[in-house]
Amino acid sequence: MPSNVECQNTMDDRGPTNDVLAQVVQLAADLGPVLRPRGDEEFLQAIVETACLVFDAEACSIALFDERDEHLEFRVAAGRGAEATVGIRIPADRGIAGWALMSGQSIAVDDVRKDPRFAADVAESTGYVPNAIMAMPLESERQTFGVIEVLDRRRGGGEGVDDMEVLALFARQATLAVETSRIFSNLGRALLESAALAAQRDSLRTALHERAAQAPRSQAELAELALLFHDLGALGADERLTVARIAEDFLAYARKRRR
Amino acid sequence: MKPAWSWQFDPATLQRVQASLPGTITREWAWEGTTGAGVKVAVIDSGIDVSYPGVGPLAGGAVVVADDDAPRGARVIEGPHEDLFGHGTACAAIIRQVAPDAELYSIRVLGERLTGRGIVFAEGMRWALAHGMQVLNMSLSTSRIDYFGLFHEIVDAAYFQRAMVVCAVNNIRAASYPSQYASVFSVAAHEGRDPFRLEYNTSPPVEFGAPGIDLEVGWLGGRSIRATGNSFAAPHISGLIARILGKHPALTPFQMKTVLMALADNAQ
Repeated sequence: MPSNVECQNTMDDRGPTNDVLAQVVQLAADLGPVLRPRGDEEFLQAIVETACLVFDAEACSIALFDERDEHLEFRVAAGRGAEATVGIRIPADRGIAGWALMSGQSIAVDDVRKDPRFAADVAESTGYVPNAIMAMPLESERQTFGVIEVLDRRRGGGEGVDDMEVLALFARQATLAVETSRIFSNLGRALLESAALAAQRDSLRTALHERAAQAPRSQAELAELALLFHDLGALGADERLTVARIAEDFLAYARKRRR
Repeated sequence: MKPAWSWQFDPATLQRVQASLPGTITREWAWEGTTGAGVKVAVIDSGIDVSYPGVGPLAGGAVVVADDDAPRGARVIEGPHEDLFGHGTACAAIIRQVAPDAELYSIRVLGERLTGRGIVFAEGMRWALAHGMQVLNMSLSTSRIDYFGLFHEIVDAAYFQRAMVVCAVNNIRAASYPSQYASVFSVAAHEGRDPFRLEYNTSPPVEFGAPGIDLEVGWLGGRSIRATGNSFAAPHISGLIARILGKHPALTPFQMKTVLMALADNAQ
């Protein structure tokens, strides 16, 4: 019977334990990002709620960029139309939010309804069409993550730049939250996938090497870092202490250079 | 024996340069009687909608798109194109306020896709330099450290061919490129409305201030909107540079910075 033949072959090659382990670990790698704690999203929600209060705005939202199809997806929102806004996906090549995302620049438009291409259909689907939008990209020195938007703010009295300086603080927090979460997810995924590879091969070290070679650059760095920690773990306490000192010195130098 | 490059300073080789600046730089000396005619200005943005009053005609243009199969990761398609967002039209209209007869070129780098946008920005700048643009208006930026070297190389090339790169700074107190480099005219918004009024900041990297708060700016479909952003301040400086170049075409970027600094409202 075919199923018996398959099972027999697997057992002959590596034994059932490794095969099952590999599958379980792969499953965990796939499910991990889905099942991870919702803390980061709750933090983003807290940011938009606070921004809404600070600006005395009708609404505030954060949309994250999905590079798979070049869309912005509204992940959290506060104020009018908030429930309907979350989950909406718009192409990144339209609207004030799209321009902010693409250009890396902040922008405030006070009569956005006069924009003939303003995504009125999106706004109408939330039940709230704003007059004024302030949009700022969420961007770190490594990646662009999305956009934070404030709709119809009443506080600020037209002093747009002051508003933007305040919004920049919220944008910075949101950027750090998203970036930290993604680094954590990617590191976990890299380690789990490497564990899956190791179960099929013979060593975690080889698997981490393979993972680094195959991964996109950002994840490859994480796999290489994991590999270094793996190797460091095999050394003595003195060696580990020396490496820690070198890393500290390097970090101090790098921070000074970037100031 | 002479070391490399020294041959350029042999009396027989050394060329005469137009280096004269007046004892006192005034607005009259800088731009009276000029409209920016004959000066090539590239608006590197989202396209330009020529239906907005006073913006057209354009002297030319190109669209840059990301292309993984292209040697540098981006491809240039020359020819007319629309404005995808409205922002490029706003920049063009602002430039026209102070340099109505400048030769405007639209180089669209925004709107196709976000992935690889630094490469697309860079290719747009390269196209502008290869086509003899004297002013490059870039109301856009990236904080990606990956692009530091790429943009550094291009703004250096611009400087050496006397092209003036004008960039809006972003709103976050962190480095952004290409506004970060010393040869770039980096611009942020001040509260004035007079397009001829500029200010000089003695604590760069943001070097010049120009109008960019609550302005009525050109947008799509011949309409205008009221908007705020450093991205609207940059084209004011681009326009002034184009206007000055219309009268003093031999100025180098460092001379232009001297002229703008002298004309700043806060200059003593």
